[in-house]
Amino acid sequence: MSEKNREGKRNARDKMKEARAAEEAKARRNRKLAVGGVVAVVIAAAVVVGVVVQNQRSKPETPTAAPAGTIGDKNLVIPVGAANAPSTLTVYEDPRCPACGSFERTFSPTVDQLEDAGKVYVNYHIVSFIDRSLGGSGSKYGANALGCAQDAGHFRDYHDVLYRNQPEETEDSFGTKQTLIDLAKQVPGLDTPEFQSCVNSNKFGGWVSAVQQDFDKSSYKSTPTVLLNGEAIYPKKGDEQISPENLVKWVDAANQGKQLGTPGSNGQSPAPSSTAAESNTPPSP
Amino acid sequence: MASQQADRGRVSGLRRAVDGSAAEWFGLAVRLGLALVWGWAGLAKVADPAEAAQAVRAYEILPESLVKPVGWGLPFLELALALLLLLGLGTRIVAIVSGVLLLVFIAGISSAWARGISIDCGCFGGGGTVDESQTKYLQEILRDSGFLLLAAWLVYRPRTKLSLDAWLAA
Repeated sequence: MSEKNREGKRNARDKMKEARAAEEAKARRNRKLAVGGVVAVVIAAAVVVGVVVQNQRSKPETPTAAPAGTIGDKNLVIPVGAANAPSTLTVYEDPRCPACGSFERTFSPTVDQLEDAGKVYVNYHIVSFIDRSLGGSGSKYGANALGCAQDAGHFRDYHDVLYRNQPEETEDSFGTKQTLIDLAKQVPGLDTPEFQSCVNSNKFGGWVSAVQQDFDKSSYKSTPTVLLNGEAIYPKKGDEQISPENLVKWVDAANQGKQLGTPGSNGQSPAPSSTAAESNTPPSP
Repeated sequence: MASQQADRGRVSGLRRAVDGSAAEWFGLAVRLGLALVWGWAGLAKVADPAEAAQAVRAYEILPESLVKPVGWGLPFLELALALLLLLGLGTRIVAIVSGVLLLVFIAGISSAWARGISIDCGCFGGGGTVDESQTKYLQEILRDSGFLLLAAWLVYRPRTKLSLDAWLAA
């Protein structure tokens, strides 16, 4: 009897303990569920709000202001030379890209001559992605300044000057707007208050970013990318290495039997720039 | 019996090391460390949505229709994780999500590496195609693995000092 009694008491005590434990476990479980729910809601809300906000912010993919005379879908391309020239040379360049600098230093006189002879219509895509990997804003500001020069009708000469004064890739001197304005002094007629304010206010910043987005979506991954009538010719066309002589040869071959264009027909920079050439002028102080 | 007790002694010594107050302070440091990582990663990607989208696009894994939502949403996911870690709310769940996300990142970088495409991981802003000589896949993977260790610790021991979790449990 007493044995049984003791057992019964223990059972009752155990049961109470069990019940309390079960209750506590349940409360813990509920709390965990609630915390989990809050975490899920916070994460989901952040992501949804984020996507909506960023979508809103990047709405105008079509730039509001594009430099005068730009062509193509959304006016992203800067043309140089005769629009009715029989061949088109498409060039993707970043102002900070060293390979573009070396391409320009070697080829710009030849390209300028081909333009002036009405043999090629050059389409420049001024991209600006070096800033992403190296930091700084030289690509973007440089591209904007090139847009400003295009707007003023001096793209070709300023473009040539910029590449001949290109800093080391890791050195972001184009990130300083004053450097870009100082270089404009080498192009007669470009260094005007309009140009300065265009550079300083980053007037074509939206356009620069649209050009870059267009490049991002293209299949081209590096700069310079150079296409002659749509075919890649840099660094090689087929098995043949590019050189100024080969470039002329390829263009002439493509133009065989075709009417040459009328240079200057699209209102490009007035200065004849077969002179803006080769000389590797040291950067002006 | 004696040996069992010794075992238990050893185990409880270990328990004290992982469960004790020192471990909870250590956990706090780990939690704040991971919060810093996510906060930094998220903030760096919020400013330029186009760049964030391009960083995702450069991996050439997702279809174009998903590139933007992921590029835009990811930084906010990272910021949300940072906030939750900072508060110490739902630490274990957040640590699990962090770990999964880091594994996804490591897989993405490895895949880019294996396919021979040259990109910057865009882990802390930037991203996109870079010159082949500028890829840093190994460093990026090692770095993310380090972060993964932080997350793993918090999955294992989510109880930390100065956390909402601890405050709610009290």
